[in-house]
Amino acid sequence: MTAYDVDLVIVGAGPSGLYGAYYAGFRGMSVAVIDSLPEPGGQISALYPEKEIFDVAGFPAVKGQRLVDELVAQAAQANPVLLLGEGAVELRHHEDSVEVVTDAGTVVRAKAMLLTGGIGTFTPRELPVGEDYLGRGLRYFVRRLDEAAGHDVVVVGGGDSAVDWALALEPLARSVTLVHRRPAFRAHERSVATLRSSSVRVLTPYEVAGIGGEHLVDEVVVERVGATSRVGVADGAGEGEREDDRDDRLTLPAQTVVAALGFIADLGPVQKWGLELRRRHVLVDRSMRTNLPRVFAAGDISDYDGKVRLISVGFGEAAAAVNNLAPLVNPALGTAPGHSSDAA
Amino acid sequence: MVYVVTDACVDVQDRSCVEECPVDCIYEGDRMMYIQPDECVDCGRCEPVCPVTSIFHEDDLPPEAARFAGINAEFFADLGSPGGARKVGRVGSDHPAAVPPGGGS
Repeated sequence: MTAYDVDLVIVGAGPSGLYGAYYAGFRGMSVAVIDSLPEPGGQISALYPEKEIFDVAGFPAVKGQRLVDELVAQAAQANPVLLLGEGAVELRHHEDSVEVVTDAGTVVRAKAMLLTGGIGTFTPRELPVGEDYLGRGLRYFVRRLDEAAGHDVVVVGGGDSAVDWALALEPLARSVTLVHRRPAFRAHERSVATLRSSSVRVLTPYEVAGIGGEHLVDEVVVERVGATSRVGVADGAGEGEREDDRDDRLTLPAQTVVAALGFIADLGPVQKWGLELRRRHVLVDRSMRTNLPRVFAAGDISDYDGKVRLISVGFGEAAAAVNNLAPLVNPALGTAPGHSSDAA
Repeated sequence: MVYVVTDACVDVQDRSCVEECPVDCIYEGDRMMYIQPDECVDCGRCEPVCPVTSIFHEDDLPPEAARFAGINAEFFADLGSPGGARKVGRVGSDHPAAVPPGGGS
């Protein structure tokens, strides 16, 4: 078990959290930043790294990932402890501190906490059927490719991760079938071209109708999308149609099913911490203080009357929160920050 | 500042958008989809995947579809903000002003 002791723990490494980390450093605090995603940047990196953003002060236009890179460089001045790929799952209260425990077992003790969790934790989108086989052949990630060596593998999905898993597993699996419910893939053209020339069997437009197996997965049933609605139409059709009809439902042998259907954000464990919530957001007062002692919130996750969810607003809130929590970290620190230009 | 589904979706309901939406805020009405404006985070992933170009940012709505900003919002008058379309499933009705009367199957 790893443990850290810092002045401020920030949960969420999106724009508000990164700016909050810089700001904590500027106020002389030691800081740790936790995020469940493996990369910093939150929604920007996960959802629109290539999109131009036009409403960040000082940047007439900036690409999402560039803004994140600059924020990471700015935050680095605070020498933060970065705990990426670890979700904050538990919050404990002590008389003069709080403790955050991550799903990796890391414990961070801090004098205050700033919650900048945005729209929550990104979790894999579940397969509509066969969810009970999770961990018994059904998985969302392949952490080590050799875990599927010699298996018949079915990968489900149409984005980059689905195509990438299929290609990565092809050399060591017995067979790889990629199932996608649309005719076209959303993955990069180049990897789709590689896919087409590989031995991966591509089934589109098909979706998973069921998973079978005694205890572990041993087969996957897939159906051609729209097949059920076509049954009526096929009635009275010529003999030549029969072969197609049989292909409408296929049973594939499989010991590993990889569901790569993308991610959905959900507030997650934060909901159980006793925070006062309003429509899945955390209520704060004008100093960005939540109802819990030593816990502040800023950015998209925070809420109050008149809230506007913009990156620029999140920056302002993060600075307001850090200044307002400064006296909790060190009673000698006032709320007034002075000017950063004076420090040079 | 949110995205809006317009009537190009009526009787198409391809649902590619649903697969892209990271907050699961695109709900299935009887004959078209609707975006919950309080849940939409403005990421823009749904817009390009729509095969019939039915989704627009509310600031870019073509004039003839301008009323759909209100229609998407009003669709949720009773549903509120359920926090995820999967939990709700198919809603068997539409906004009365969204779809032409009759038609459908």
